Amino acid sequence: MRPYDKLSREFIVTMQQNLLEQHLSKEELLALKNKRSGMTVFQISWIMAFFCLIIVNWQLRYSYTQWPPPGVEKMGLALPTLATGALLLSAFLARRGLKAIRQDNHKTFLTSWGTVLVLGALFVVIMAYEWLIVPLGTQYGTVFRLMTGFHGFHALVIGIYMMTIYQNARKGQYGQFDFWAVEAAVKLWYFVAFAWIMFYAVLYWI
Amino acid sequence: MAAIPYPLGGAQAEAKRPAFSEYLRWSIDHKIIGVQYIVTALFFFVVGGGLAMLIRWELLTPDLDVMANGSAYNSLFSIHATVMIFLWIIPIFAGFGNFLVPLMLGAKDMAFPWLNAFAFWLIPPAGLLMLAGYFVGPAEAGWTSYPPLSTLYSPDGQTLWAISLHLLGISSILGAINFIVTVKNMRPAGMGYFQMPLFVWSILATSIIVVLATPFLAGALTLLILDRVAGTAFFDPSQGGDVLLWQNVFWFYSHPAVYIMVLPGMGILSEVLSVHSRKPIFGYRMIALSSMAIALVGFTVWAHHMFTSLTPELRIPFMITSMIIAVPTGIKVFSWLATIWMGKIHYTAAMLSALAFLSMFVIGGISGVMLGSVPVDIHMHDTYFVVSHLHFVLYGGSVFAIYAGIYHWWPKITGRMLDERLGRIHVGVAYVSFFLTFFPQHIVGMLGMPRRVAYYDPQYQTLNVIISISAFVLGISTFILLYNLVYSTIAGKRASANPWRALTLEWMTTSPPPAYNFVGDPIPFEDPYGYGTEASKAYIDAMEARFGPPVAPKPAPAKPAAPVAPQPSAGD
Repeated sequence: MRPYDKLSREFIVTMQQNLLEQHLSKEELLALKNKRSGMTVFQISWIMAFFCLIIVNWQLRYSYTQWPPPGVEKMGLALPTLATGALLLSAFLARRGLKAIRQDNHKTFLTSWGTVLVLGALFVVIMAYEWLIVPLGTQYGTVFRLMTGFHGFHALVIGIYMMTIYQNARKGQYGQFDFWAVEAAVKLWYFVAFAWIMFYAVLYWI
Repeated sequence: MAAIPYPLGGAQAEAKRPAFSEYLRWSIDHKIIGVQYIVTALFFFVVGGGLAMLIRWELLTPDLDVMANGSAYNSLFSIHATVMIFLWIIPIFAGFGNFLVPLMLGAKDMAFPWLNAFAFWLIPPAGLLMLAGYFVGPAEAGWTSYPPLSTLYSPDGQTLWAISLHLLGISSILGAINFIVTVKNMRPAGMGYFQMPLFVWSILATSIIVVLATPFLAGALTLLILDRVAGTAFFDPSQGGDVLLWQNVFWFYSHPAVYIMVLPGMGILSEVLSVHSRKPIFGYRMIALSSMAIALVGFTVWAHHMFTSLTPELRIPFMITSMIIAVPTGIKVFSWLATIWMGKIHYTAAMLSALAFLSMFVIGGISGVMLGSVPVDIHMHDTYFVVSHLHFVLYGGSVFAIYAGIYHWWPKITGRMLDERLGRIHVGVAYVSFFLTFFPQHIVGMLGMPRRVAYYDPQYQTLNVIISISAFVLGISTFILLYNLVYSTIAGKRASANPWRALTLEWMTTSPPPAYNFVGDPIPFEDPYGYGTEASKAYIDAMEARFGPPVAPKPAPAKPAAPVAPQPSAGD
C-alpha cells in the first residue's frame, strides 16, 4: 500500500523530485518553482502586517501605566490555549496530508484533511467567541478585537479555501504531480498558525 | 578576444506594434502592462501637476484669492502630494520595471503574468476613488494624514483616500512579489546576480522594501479607516488612544517608501550614464550593494520625520542612522561621476536628464542631511525648506530619472525614435525652471515661511512670485515632452533594435519586441557594461548584423505607408 513508508525521508524527497522532473515539462517545473518562491515572498511580506498590529498593541499598552487598564479583567487562558492546541495539531495534520497526496495516498489525505478542517473550525469558533465576549470600552478591548478579528478573518478565508480543496480532493483532483493547490493551502495554514502563536503570546501571556 | 557567444536569437524582420485596443484591455503581456502603467502614471502626472499649478497660483499673493477657503487649499496640496507619490512616481517605476525586467533577463514574461495584470488594474480604480473625493469633500490632512486632522477634521474624502491607498498598497505588494520571483528564478543561463543590469538590481532592492514595508501602510490605513467609520479611537488620546501611533506606523512605511521612489531612478541612471558615455560602469558591485544597503538602512530612520514629536532621548540615534544612509547614496553618486569621467559623453536628451538628476539630486541629498540633523530640523521643521528638499529629491531626482528612462527606452517601447531636438529643449527648460522653482524655496523656508498654509507674510512675496512663475514654466515644459511622445510615436523616425549601441539584453531584440520578446533564448554578454572592449564591439556588431544598423535607413515614407496603430498617448 505505502511502499515508501520504510524509506528515509531524504530518499523520498529526492525520488519525488526526480519523478516530478520526469513527468513535468520545463515550463511546468519553472511555474512550480515560481509559485513556491512567490508563496515564500508573500508570507514574508504579509507577516509584516501582523508585526504591525503587535507594534500597535505595544504602543497602546505602554502609553498606560497598567495593562489591561484598571477595571478591565484580563482574558482567561483556558479557551485560547485549547484553540492554540487545536490549531497546532491541525497544522501538523495538514503537513501529513500534503505528504500523503504527494505519495498518491488519497485515503490518508482525506482523513488528515478532514480532521484539519474540524480542528480549524474549532479554532475559529473559539476565537469568534473570545472576540464577542471581550470587555469593550477601553483600548484593551478594541485592540484585542482588532488583532483577533484580523487573524480570524485570515483563518476563515484560508479555511474556506481548504474546504474547497477537500471537496475537490474527493473528486480525485489532486495527485502525485498535481499537488500545488494542497501545498499552497498547507503553507497558508502554517502562516495562520505562526501568526497566531505570535498573537497568542502578545495577547494572553506578555 | 575570446570567442563571442552569439547568435543572439533571431527576430522578425519588421517589428509590429500591438494594436491600440490591446492597451485598453486586460492583457497579461508584460510589455503591454508596462505601457499601461506608464500611460496611466503620465495621466496622473498631468492631474497632479495641474493641482500644483493651482497651489502656485494661490501663492502668487500673500492672501487667499484663488481658493474659496483654507480647507480647499489644504485638499489641494494633500491630493497633489498623494497623486504624485502614489499614482505617478511609484506606478511609472513599476511600469519601467514591468517592461524592462523580463527583457533585461532574457525572459518571455514575468513570473506571474496574471497577477501582474491584476496589480495594474487595481491602479485606475484606486486613482478614480482618490479623485472621487472631490464629490464628497476631498482629504485635507496632507499626504501624511496625521490624526487628529485626518480623523476629526477631514471630510469623507479622507476615507476614500485611505481606501484608495489601500488598493495601491496591495497593487505594489503584488507587483513586488512578481519582481522578486522573476529576478530570482528567471535569469538566463550564464547570468548570476552580479551579471544582472543595475536597473534590475534597483528593482529588486525596491521590491524588497515594498514587500517588507507596505504591510505597515496597510495596518496604519486600516486603523485610520476604523477610527473614521467604525467608532474606534486608536488615535484619540481622550479615549485612551495615541496620536503618535499613526506617526510611527505611517513613517515606518513612508520613509522606506521614499527609497521606493528613488531607487529605480538610480537604476535608470546607472544604465543611461554608462551607455551614453560609452564607458563601463564604475564600481558595479558597490552600486548594486549600496541599493541593498539603502533598502536595509532605510528601515531604521523613520523617526527622523518626528524629531519634534519624539521623546528627546531617541533623537540622536535616529539622527545617526539618518546620516549613515547618506553613505550608500554617496557611493552611488561618486561611482556615477567616475563612470562619466573621461567618458565619450553623448549629450542626448536621455544623458542630459541623467546629468540633471546627478546635479539636482545631490542638492536634495545635502539638504536632506541638513534636515537629518536634529538642531537644524527643529528650526526648519514644516517650513518651505522641507518642501524644497523633497522636491529636489523627488522631482530633481526621481522625475528627471524618469525623463532619462523615457528618452532612453521609448525607442524600444514604441519602435520610434523621439525627437532629440525637442527632447533637449524639454530637458533644458525643465532643468532651469525646476531650479528656479525649488531653489528659492530653501531661502523662504530659512526665512521662516511655513508650508501648507495659503496665507503668508508679505515680505516673502517677491520670492514667491519668482517661484510661481518658474513653476508655470516648469508645468508648461511637461507638455513639450507629452507632445514629443505622441508625435514621435505616430510619425517619428523608425528606431532600430539598438539605437544607443547598448549591451543589455533588452536591446537584443527588435523594437518593439515581438510577443514573448525573443525568438530562442538570448545569450547575455558577459559584462552588461563592458563598453570599449573588442569583445563588446564584436557582440554589438553581431547583433546589428542580425537586426539592422543603429541608424534606420531613412525615415519611414511620410504619408501613405503602412497604417501605424497609434499608441495610447499621455493624457487620454
